[in-house]
Parts: sequence; C-alpha cells; structure tokens
Amino acid sequence: MLLQIIINGILKGGLYALMALGMSLIWGVMNIINIAHGAFIMLGAYCTYWFFSLVGLDPFVSLFISIIFMFIIGYGIQRYLINFVIRATIFITLILAFGIEIFINNLALVMWTADVRKVQVPYGASNFSIGSLVTIPYVRLSAFLIALIIAGIFYFILNKTRLGRSIRATSQDLDAARLVGVDVAKTYAVTFGLGVGAAGAAGTLWAILFPINPMMGGILTLKSFVVVIIGGLGSMFGPIIGGLTLGVVEALGSNWFGTTYENFIGFTILVLVLIFLPKGILGKSE
Amino acid sequence: MAQKGTATKGVILGILIIAGIAIPFFSGNFIIRFLTNTLMFAVLASAWNIIGGYTGYASFGNVVFLGIGAYVSAVLMEKEGVSLWLALPASGIGASLFAVLIGMPVLRLKGHYFAIATLGVAEAMKALVNNLDITEGNSGIYLPVMNLPVKEQYIFFYFMMMGVLAMTLVVTYIMLKKKLGYGLIAIREDEEAAGSLGVNTTLFKITSFALSGFFSGLAGSLYAFQQGFIKPESVFDVGITVKMIVMAVLGGIGSVMGPLLGAMSIEVISEILTNYFLVAHTLFFGAIVILAIVFTPKGIMDIISGRKKFGLNYLLQNIRDHRI
Repeated sequence: MLLQIIINGILKGGLYALMALGMSLIWGVMNIINIAHGAFIMLGAYCTYWFFSLVGLDPFVSLFISIIFMFIIGYGIQRYLINFVIRATIFITLILAFGIEIFINNLALVMWTADVRKVQVPYGASNFSIGSLVTIPYVRLSAFLIALIIAGIFYFILNKTRLGRSIRATSQDLDAARLVGVDVAKTYAVTFGLGVGAAGAAGTLWAILFPINPMMGGILTLKSFVVVIIGGLGSMFGPIIGGLTLGVVEALGSNWFGTTYENFIGFTILVLVLIFLPKGILGKSE
Repeated sequence: MAQKGTATKGVILGILIIAGIAIPFFSGNFIIRFLTNTLMFAVLASAWNIIGGYTGYASFGNVVFLGIGAYVSAVLMEKEGVSLWLALPASGIGASLFAVLIGMPVLRLKGHYFAIATLGVAEAMKALVNNLDITEGNSGIYLPVMNLPVKEQYIFFYFMMMGVLAMTLVVTYIMLKKKLGYGLIAIREDEEAAGSLGVNTTLFKITSFALSGFFSGLAGSLYAFQQGFIKPESVFDVGITVKMIVMAVLGGIGSVMGPLLGAMSIEVISEILTNYFLVAHTLFFGAIVILAIVFTPKGIMDIISGRKKFGLNYLLQNIRDHRI
C-alpha cells in the first residue's frame, strides 16, 4: 500500500519535473518568473486535445506538434513583447507575465468555453503489476519516461551545443556575451521558446492523464514554482529532484491528512524550503 | 513657482475631497457600491505600495492580509457576537501581527524569492482556512446582517472605506517625512549600504510589512461585513494581489497618490469593459495590462507630473530604456 503510494507519487513527480523544467530554464537564464507558465501548459494540453478529437491523432504523436507549436509561440512572445521590458525592474516582467496569463486564459475561455474535457485514449486503463503489491498504468509510466527524456535533451542542448553555450553565456553576463558576438535578443527568444516548448510537452502529458479546462493553469504555475524552489535553480537536475520530492510528499501527505490538505502541504513546504534552504536542495550557495 | 504648484495641488485635492463626500448623496446604489469597491482597491494598492513601492519588496501575497482581516471579523462577529467597532481594529491588528510573524523569516529573502514566498504564504493560508472548523472551511461563513436601510448601508460602507483610505494615505505621507520613510527608501535603493549606515533594516522592513498588513486587514474587515458572506477562494484570491500590484504600478509606485489613481483608472476601465463585453472583458483587461506595462512602466504619476512631454516619443522612449 505504502509502496504503491510512493510509486504513484514518483510517477506524478516526473510530470511535475517536466512542468518545472521550462520555468527553471527561463528563470535561471533571464531572471523572469514566468507566471504565464501554467497558461502555456494549458495551451499544450488543448493542442493535443484538438488533434485527438478532430483528427484522431494519438497524444504521443501530437506531443511533437505541441512542442513545436509552443516553441513558436514562446519565441514570438519573448522576441516581440518581453524583450521590450527585460531591463526594467522585476515587477514589470512579473506583471507583464500576469497580463499574458490573463490574456491567454481568457482567450481560451472565449474560444473553447469552460467545459472540462478529457482525452480518452483506448489504452488509458491498461497497466501491469509487479508482484501483487504494485500496479503501474502504462500511460503514467510513459509520461514519466518522456519527462525524463525531455530533461535529458535539455541537458544535452545546454551543455553540448553552440546554442547552449550562448544561452549559458547570456545568463552569466549579458554584456560580455554581446561583446563576443552572441545575438542576445535571439538567444533570449530561443530560451523562452524552449521553456514554453517544455510546458507544451507537459500539457500534452497532462491531457493524457487528467481532465483539462481553460483555467487549469493557475495551480500548475504555483506547483511549478514549488518544484523549482525545492530543487534549486541553475541545474537541469534541480527540477527533477524537486518534482519527485513534491510528487512523493503530496502523495504521502494526502494519504495521511486527506486530499484537501494537498495544497496546504505543498505551499508550506515551499515557504519552509525558501526560509531554510533558499537555494534549494541542489542549489549552489554563492 | 513651487508655491503656485502647491496651491494648485491643494485646490485640486480640496475639490476631490468635497466631491468624494458629496457624491454618495446624489448617486444610486450601484454607483456607491462601485465607488466603495474602488476605494477598497485604493486602500489595498496603497498598502501594497508601502512594502512593494517604498521598501522595494515585491509582495505577491498581500491578499493574505485582506483574507485574515475578513476572517478575523467574520469569526469574531458571527461566533463571539462582537460589534464592528471592535472587530474592525482587531482585524487590522490581527493582520499586522501575522505580517510580523511571517515577515521575520520571509523578509530575509530578496527579489523573486520573497515574491514567491509571500505567494506561498497566501496560498497556504487559503488552504488552511479551507480546512479549519472555526472558519467553517470551504463552505464559507456568514456575517451578521446590518439593521439599516439598504441605501444607508451603502453610504455607511462608502464613508468607512473612505476613512480607511484617508488613514492609509495620511500615514504613508507622514511616514515619508519621518526616519522610517527615509530608511525604507534607503533599503530599496541599497539594503547593505542602508544597514551599514545604521538603519535597523530588519525592524524597518517588518514595520513596513506590518503597516501594509494593518490597512489591508481593515479593508478586509469592511469588505467581509459588507458582503455578508465570505469564502476562502474569494478573500484569498491571488487575482486580488495581481490587481493591487497592477494598480500600484500603473499609478506609479513609490508615490502617495499613484496607487489611488491606478485603482481609479483600473476600476473604471474594468467596469466599462464589463459593460460592453460581457464574456470577453477579462481578455481585454489582460491586453490593457500588457500594453500599459510595455508603454508606460513608470505609471500615470510620471505622465501627469509633467517632467517629460507626453506623446508617442514618451511611449517609445520607455521601450528604448528597457529593451535589449
């Protein structure tokens, strides 16, 4: 029983990790807290939903469409909106992100109504058992693995490619990066696009596992914060550690205190981690 | 010149005050209610301005003080039969005690980390109130009904809220002339330097947070009593925090009258949008927030102060200043 709860927590934690991956990248590189992150997850989820219900495309295929589509949106928003205010104080980027969130959520609400929708894949209920103790649904396991693979791809892009080098250089010193010939505006746009693309992937996986609606983003943004903070900024492994921690703690907490305490537990951990471990579990101290 | 400027300001302020006192006697209930709501947001934005604007700590959880104020009043009045005149100050004090308690650990954080921590505190409190028995959990709590004709109730709340707003603005104004105000601005500009010059930064920051909490708590108490029924989702709504920050920033942070102007413009705009676009009004609201942040990040106060000429060039200059 306990083992099953922990495994459920880990599987959900993988999805949390993917949600937070994009937010962590954007925050770490550009010092922007992307409050619209949940709204982008919602768009990714709807992208998958519409491809599934209109064309019958399998969610694990539309995953790629969702990533590319969200990358383009993210690139555009950074290039033609956020880059205009990037040097202003932190309130400004925060509120701009809030404005974007309000806009996207309500656009979705107007276009697609507040109905709760669900992607019903035929293989949604199939699972396998390990011994007689633990049952693992295939869909959840695949979502977990995809989250890890995407984290791996991110790690590769950031550490092994020329693009990754420009991103890292820009995050360390904007002016120095510019001096050595990095196109900073474009690098920022690509970074934001990558982060939003990861949000799109998370949205697709979310749509496979849970019902979706246009206002689902708010709580997902908050959970992504918790994960980023628990894991700490500045490492691709931070969100993974943070995601798994939150997943397991939430699962155990809901089991012990009841599901209505799930959010209380999550946010209490957030505040406690901020106070006692402000750099997160993996964060480097300055 | 300075003399003349002060005199003009005094005349404008006088006219506004007289208009503010006279309006409810010549208006319908709808207008009075709308104005009371605007006054409440002016209180919240001004209270946010103390910690966010002057001290430079971007609190993203200030709605928690509104919520605590509302619930302190609700519990005291409903369960203990306390009158508004006791519940109101109790709500303010309760909210500022909470600010002190939570401020001691949280105000050590800076920048984004402080913002997220306060957001976390507000969400955690919402979840807690949702589960407590004394607050009647997520079913919400009713407050005693007032024994006054409807119109007089509306006028009563209008003047009470105006009183709280006047108190907030006067205290902010006095604070700015005192050591506290200079200390807070010093902390905003450079906290380490302020500390090395002998500013007790911890005490100042906590005082500023407690003041912010106090006024928000008063607003929460009145809001709860006027509504007659509150729920955790309605008084701990993160959207209210966003609204007060947007108002403070659009009005001009770090100025006494900025948040008031911001609250008035945002409320009027939202009301007009709601009237014309029943479904899509929040969509347009989002668009307005985006445009305002990009083109006028320094707020209305910067425009009406007349230091710079307003025009297309002014709007573009703001982008040139902050783009990469």
